[in-house]
Amino acid sequence: MNRRKQENTWIWFIKQASGGLVFLVILVHLVVNHLVAAGGLLTYSDVIRYFSHPWVVVMEIFFLIVVVGHSLLGLRSILLDFNPTAAFLRVTDFVFVILGSAAVLYGVWLALTIASVV
Amino acid sequence: MDNLPGSPARRGWLQWIDPRGKQGGGWGFLINRLAGLGLTFYLFLHLMVLGKLANGPESYDGFVKLAHHPVVVAGEVLVVLAVLLHGFNGIRILLTSFGIGVARQRLWLVLAGVLALGIGLFFILRMAGVLS
Amino acid sequence: MNDLWKLTVQIKRYKPGRGQWTSTYNIQIHPDEYVLDAVEQIWAYQDRSLVYRHLCHHSTCGACGMRVNHREKLACITRIRDITRAGGTILIEPLRNMPVISDLAVDMGQFFRLLDEIDYDQVQPAGSLPTGKGIRPDKKQPDGIERLVDCLECGLCVSACPAGATSGEYMGPAALAAIQLSSSSGYADMLDLADSEDGAWRCHSAFACTDVCPSNVEPGWRIMDLRKKLIARQLSVMVKKNEVTHG
Repeated sequence: MNRRKQENTWIWFIKQASGGLVFLVILVHLVVNHLVAAGGLLTYSDVIRYFSHPWVVVMEIFFLIVVVGHSLLGLRSILLDFNPTAAFLRVTDFVFVILGSAAVLYGVWLALTIASVV
Repeated sequence: MDNLPGSPARRGWLQWIDPRGKQGGGWGFLINRLAGLGLTFYLFLHLMVLGKLANGPESYDGFVKLAHHPVVVAGEVLVVLAVLLHGFNGIRILLTSFGIGVARQRLWLVLAGVLALGIGLFFILRMAGVLS
Repeated sequence: MNDLWKLTVQIKRYKPGRGQWTSTYNIQIHPDEYVLDAVEQIWAYQDRSLVYRHLCHHSTCGACGMRVNHREKLACITRIRDITRAGGTILIEPLRNMPVISDLAVDMGQFFRLLDEIDYDQVQPAGSLPTGKGIRPDKKQPDGIERLVDCLECGLCVSACPAGATSGEYMGPAALAAIQLSSSSGYADMLDLADSEDGAWRCHSAFACTDVCPSNVEPGWRIMDLRKKLIARQLSVMVKKNEVTHG
């Protein structure tokens, strides 16, 4: 029996912890984006105004990192349910890391771009 | 797994979605998995659409106009429902994973569902105003 | 004997070389009898080719696990009256997530081999086990009283578990619950076994195992408790390592 030892304790823990954090931030995110806005959806100028606050930029970037992490860890969990070989898992882990990093880098760039619009 | 030759063994992932015989937490598991997959897909789509913000007001506001279309609003509602269900059930899973509330985990599942659908309903009514 | 019920019983069959099919039987049976009695009646009077397991007939041996109307049950304690009505249909299938040897008999080899490897003590202080109501150990038991642990090793939990559906390597609720019991008694080596991707971390908290367990093992809770123990153990290892380098 293939028993991959002690590889997953902390990955599982991070998945749970990131989930909890996502939950907290997403409530704020949903309230701002849909309840506060007049028509239930923010316009371009609404977004620019929203991102003019530095704490918003920090919060949204933090949100991006934990939500991308949580979602990719979740995908990985589903994949693990199918008992992939160690080699297959190495390849997919690499893909997840690339995907996650790309998403975060893109998001950070976007957030800073919007924040710098006068 | 020692599989006997020719023997029908595991049923595979279809067992996840088979409703027959499912009880309590089994539904919680399924809802979380489906919502999680859907939300992952939505997340990456959302990030791409937000790129329009970098192209100026015409590009983004053009999309916002489109987003008032009933189909898009319906999609938005599904996303929010998925977030609420996955979120509240996820908190239940987080707590039970540390031994909190395990004895009444079915009750928490029902509570999570009620909270999610309740808030979701409130959201639907709010967004219904958007269609006008 | 007009208090007998007429029932249709469908049984999922399997024979090597023939594949799977469903056989339908019509029986008359008293509703206070059990599903196992129905199966025995069918075997005795209608179809001697039907294969099934049974032993004690009073939910102690764990041999008669099967799926009755899509739910994992011990057939010997599942009363006809509780699952159908006069004129109704019962569907009987073998347990899932284990290879079928013949008809309702599944290969529980891996299941037993794993429990054997864990080698947990099946006699434990009565005060460390729950009484059957709730999951907390029954501290009111006087010292010195011992009893057999609750697990019948029937395999219903393994059949119900969604993680077991796709992973043949997953240790499963029974094995993990056994390790949790062992760790309660101080057999720390077993925690290593559980601390893996195929152990306590594969569980998705569906609690299907707890739902179907006929014997109050509460495997779902035991896996959660095991996780706490594993994290605590990892933390103490990390702390010790720190002490060694800085001490």
